[in-house]
Amino acid sequence: MEYDTMMMDNESLGPSVKISEADNMHVNFELTNVDISFANSLRRVIQAEVPTIAIDLVEFAVNSSVLADEFIAHRLGLIPLDSRQIDDLNYSRDCDCDQYCERCSVTLTLHAKCTSDEVMKVYARDLIVSHDRPNNQIGNPVIMDPDGLGPLICKLRKDQELQINCIAKKGIAKEHAKWAPTAAVGFEYDPHNKLRHLDLWYEIDAEKEWPKSQYAAWEEPPQEGEVFDYDAVPSRFYFEVESAGNIEPDTIIQEGIKELQRKLAGLIHGLGETDGMNGDYDGPRSPDQNMDGGSGWQDQGFTTPYGNAGNQSSWGGSATAYGTTPYGNSGQGGW
Amino acid sequence: MPGRTINEATRLEAKTEDVAMADAPTSAQSHAEESHDTAETMREDGEENGSKQGEEEEDEEEQPPAQRIRVLPGSTTTAASYEFLEEGHTLGNALRYIIMKNPDVEFCAYAIPHPSEPKMNVRIQTYDTTTAIDALKKGLQDLEDLCDVVAEEFWTKRNEFAASKADMMSE
Ligand SMILES: [Zn+2]
Repeated sequence: MEYDTMMMDNESLGPSVKISEADNMHVNFELTNVDISFANSLRRVIQAEVPTIAIDLVEFAVNSSVLADEFIAHRLGLIPLDSRQIDDLNYSRDCDCDQYCERCSVTLTLHAKCTSDEVMKVYARDLIVSHDRPNNQIGNPVIMDPDGLGPLICKLRKDQELQINCIAKKGIAKEHAKWAPTAAVGFEYDPHNKLRHLDLWYEIDAEKEWPKSQYAAWEEPPQEGEVFDYDAVPSRFYFEVESAGNIEPDTIIQEGIKELQRKLAGLIHGLGETDGMNGDYDGPRSPDQNMDGGSGWQDQGFTTPYGNAGNQSSWGGSATAYGTTPYGNSGQGGW
Repeated sequence: MPGRTINEATRLEAKTEDVAMADAPTSAQSHAEESHDTAETMREDGEENGSKQGEEEEDEEEQPPAQRIRVLPGSTTTAASYEFLEEGHTLGNALRYIIMKNPDVEFCAYAIPHPSEPKMNVRIQTYDTTTAIDALKKGLQDLEDLCDVVAEEFWTKRNEFAASKADMMSE
């Protein structure tokens, strides 16, 4: 009973999450009491900026299949690889090495030759992952079918052969969709279109012609003759996140928020440095002045803000008590 | 020219150069080539020693996430426009919202002037009770705190959901 009242309180005070469905490939949840801009940022970040690992460089030693090298390379890139411990891996561009190494890449090799008269199918399970990698699951092809085959890469006829070396690297979907952690993200709000953000096309009656979303049952339908509220804003957002298999769906959300915080930490860090350097009347100035002054703003900071930023935004920990922010509690912040 | 000039002197200089450029295109061209070369060597030497060169030519490919904020010309303490590099709607809209929530802020808006330039501008105008830069910093910090709250809330509910699912299985 007590628990229930607490829930009620939280709901009225700050952001709240309600999970309606979750398994190893999906998570459906409702995010309430946040602004649409924040909800949309979350959607954008999980779709485009959560890092994963995918094959990025392919070296062909032998390819006598019917498919062109670049065709196969493209298919290889799209194979989901286990990215659950992606923090163990560097971005190649940030790594100390010249091109790539075991700290910023995972090597997968494929060697297949058809010797029988039957057509041979080459699957993702035939990829052999090198052992020198940060942990022993990262970069494994994600195989979810009951036969344990994984995606089909190519078919070979008698005497055709593939001998390929693949370099998988860390990246984000903003650069190439093969790095996407999500297969699809549903994002909706206001199922009754009370806010009239939509202008529904219709032949006779929009109400009859447009099927209602399943979330329509979760919200109060508009009353007969209800006056339009010009000040109303959306506050309940329905997410349906489907993983591509490389990261668990709940972790995608977690990593997405982390990614947002990484952005923010980098910016806060950059602005903080400026402060010390220019005490001029001119007030707000950009970090560029620092760079002119030869301070290492760029080098020490931003590429790896994790170390310091981590504590502010730590997960496991206590860092921000719910009550201390203006969001969680009606409290002192004043707004 | 990626003019990332800030102080008045350089800006005036840049202006006069602009006018002269029409008359002397060759000099402008050789200058551009020069700076490009500098960027090239910076890459090969590695990032460390390149920064002293004084040239702020942007490294196009090698270090894209160089996140920077600069103040656009014409800003005062309580009314300023900031240019963010390599940021977009993901940060812009949420930041705009959270800065606007600050009661000391009179106005805040963001824009992405052109889709093929990786730039995002934020305009902040405050009352005399604070400054634009402080409002920006507070906005960033508040958004970070909001992220913390949502992250914690999501994880709590996820665990509760997992627990209740486990309960149902065992019954
Ligand atoms: Zn490396």
